[in-house]
Amino acid sequence: MGDSQYSFSLTTFSPSGKLVQIEHALMAVGSGQTSLGIKATNGVVVATEKKLPSILVDETSVQKIQLMTPNIGVVYSGMGPDSRVLLRKSRKQAQQYFRLYKESIPVTQLVRETAAVMQEFTQSGGVRPFGVSLLIAGYDDNGPQLYQVDPSGSYFSWKASAMGKNVSNAKTFLEKRYTEDMELEDAIHTAILTLKEGFEGQISGKNIEIGIIGTDRQFRVLSSSEIDDYLAEVE
Amino acid sequence: MVKMTDLPIKGGFSFDLCTRNQMLLEKGLQMPPFRKTGTTIVGLVFQDGVVLGADTRATEGPIVADKNCEKIHFMASNIYCCGAGTAADTEAVTDMVSSQLQLHRYATGRESRVVTALTLLKSHLFSYQGHVSAALILGGVDVTGPHLHTVYPHGSTDTLPFATMGSGSLAAMSVFESKYREGLTREEGIELVAEAICAGIFNDLGSGSNVDVCVITKGQTEYLRNYQLPNPRTYISSKGYSFVKGQTEVLSTKITPIQPKVETVGGDAMEE
Repeated sequence: MGDSQYSFSLTTFSPSGKLVQIEHALMAVGSGQTSLGIKATNGVVVATEKKLPSILVDETSVQKIQLMTPNIGVVYSGMGPDSRVLLRKSRKQAQQYFRLYKESIPVTQLVRETAAVMQEFTQSGGVRPFGVSLLIAGYDDNGPQLYQVDPSGSYFSWKASAMGKNVSNAKTFLEKRYTEDMELEDAIHTAILTLKEGFEGQISGKNIEIGIIGTDRQFRVLSSSEIDDYLAEVE
Repeated sequence: MVKMTDLPIKGGFSFDLCTRNQMLLEKGLQMPPFRKTGTTIVGLVFQDGVVLGADTRATEGPIVADKNCEKIHFMASNIYCCGAGTAADTEAVTDMVSSQLQLHRYATGRESRVVTALTLLKSHLFSYQGHVSAALILGGVDVTGPHLHTVYPHGSTDTLPFATMGSGSLAAMSVFESKYREGLTREEGIELVAEAICAGIFNDLGSGSNVDVCVITKGQTEYLRNYQLPNPRTYISSKGYSFVKGQTEVLSTKITPIQPKVETVGGDAMEE
């Protein structure tokens, strides 16, 4: 890796003190499909648009929302392949933690380790930053938690957040609709309404994905028929 | 430092210290003993799945180190593994493969298969050339049906309808050879396994205490910890023991006063 002509780090500081590559990575995230997450009192919900490039694509083969551990799930905005690399590393780190301490990794620890990986790629030679922002949703002994991790490696805990194309509209909508005592079912409805706001075309269980985790601490992705039921309730 | 690609893991035994160890042995060093499980473990296939059984005694030479240890290890919700040999080795290897199976499940989105666990175990054990002293009975039910395998420390495996391992394996096998038949029901399978383990418990010194059973069927696993307790403690005195002052003879007395605390007065503060 270190003997090519371009083995210097691409993320070198600009005179104004910015890391231009990271800014560009955030642009890549900003042009990705909208995704959002809401933390309720008894759980967390994450949702994303699932716009496929053509009607010929088999939508059952695509799943954007994935599990990192049985009680931690993740959704991304930006470059799908980049998210897969991070997902793989995070799953492995969660397993290593379990093997060492014989307890499930807490959400904050996993977020920290994922963020550390993303940061590594902004300070190494011959690599580029990841073109994804992740929303990590989990439920552990500290209750329900929602974290956003950016290409720079910085992470934030959110009560509700959105990323991707429609981020400003979605965040404004969430700011209006979010309440501290919201429960999981309300949060799911709010998430659907937020996605609907900027959705081009007809929203259905086939072109959005929703993942939830409740007090049972089992993260799961809703089936398209379950989403259709929720959509009917919202209408 | 660039480390985004995982370097291939250099497995196998590192022989670097062998010359040193040989020299120490010649000088008269006693190697510390391994804690062996001196075990009876069994498994059989019945009509709906597999039943695994194990005793619960862990020995350190002639001493019982653990009267109620767990020898049936979790690999996946549909796969369990009994371990005989060195306790640390069986624990470590089953934990490691269990972790690898979890990662594999995430990558494939499917339930783990018994042959996957089998291949992971045998490749690991082979690369350590028998130095990882783990003799295992691996059993589970997956989409392809119920499976039962034995794994030996050097990495060879067998696929069998019924199997026994450990120091009590001969006692247990005698029970299986006379009473096993195909198409046993769940109750018959559990009874036979318990009988085989009891044969090991009573006839082998390395096995003892209780019987653990694990029943795996399609979609459901039941871990029956301490299914039978054929060796209860019966000698506890209900009155307890009393040790009266004066019962123990005093041979000699030596009193050493504890040093009084030395207080320093004055002096300068430390330079920064």
